[in-house]
Amino acid sequence: MKKLALPENFDHKNIDILKQFITETGKIIPARVSGITAPEQRKLTKAVKIARFLALIPYTDKQI
Amino acid sequence: MNHYELTLILNPDLASKFDPYKEHFESVLSQLGFNIHYCENVGIRELAYTIGINKKGHYLIYQLDGDPANINELETKIKYDNSVIRHLVLKTDTVTESDSFLTQDTKEAKKRAEERAHEVKLKAQVQQQSKPTPSETKVDESLSEEKKDESPSGEEESSTTEETTPEKTESENEEQS
Repeated sequence: MKKLALPENFDHKNIDILKQFITETGKIIPARVSGITAPEQRKLTKAVKIARFLALIPYTDKQI
Repeated sequence: MNHYELTLILNPDLASKFDPYKEHFESVLSQLGFNIHYCENVGIRELAYTIGINKKGHYLIYQLDGDPANINELETKIKYDNSVIRHLVLKTDTVTESDSFLTQDTKEAKKRAEERAHEVKLKAQVQQQSKPTPSETKVDESLSEEKKDESPSGEEESSTTEETTPEKTESENEEQS
């Protein structure tokens, strides 16, 4: 996937950026692997969890 | 007064009833004292997982201004609304008055689906035309490219069935004699 520039604030609606930070199975990639800072990771986590609730990105690959 | 972002996932089966529903919902919002800054009609998207029995949902995102005291009442009203599959109210710092990435993404996905459906239709047409007259080479220019791809595979039917059985029977006969 093409790497997109990090935004100032993670938005739960911008799923293309969020998808860079989740694995194929839907897990959030740890900051030590992705290399983003801790404050960024906290914002990212919040955005991913909101996007999951709105069925924009999956919780897991086992759900159908 | 606070800024809010209200996301609704509506039942995709609303279809023609969508516009009246939207009007009705907006009147409810204004009754509760909410000021609508922007309404983003994302459209029907495929859900990442099924909610109830729904595999698709109609996304609607409102940017609101309103009294925090009325949020609870609004939520209870949405909760007992059968055409809302899921909803979320978020408090935001600023009001964005433009379409988000979602709308663009949904439009692109819709376009891709339409193109795919169009291709399938074209292929079906080509197959129907080529079946009765397989050796025909005069096809419309628009269809000729696809036909080139398909025609060799249809004609290349190998007819080399090895005839080994008669030899075997002959040798067997010799041994017997």
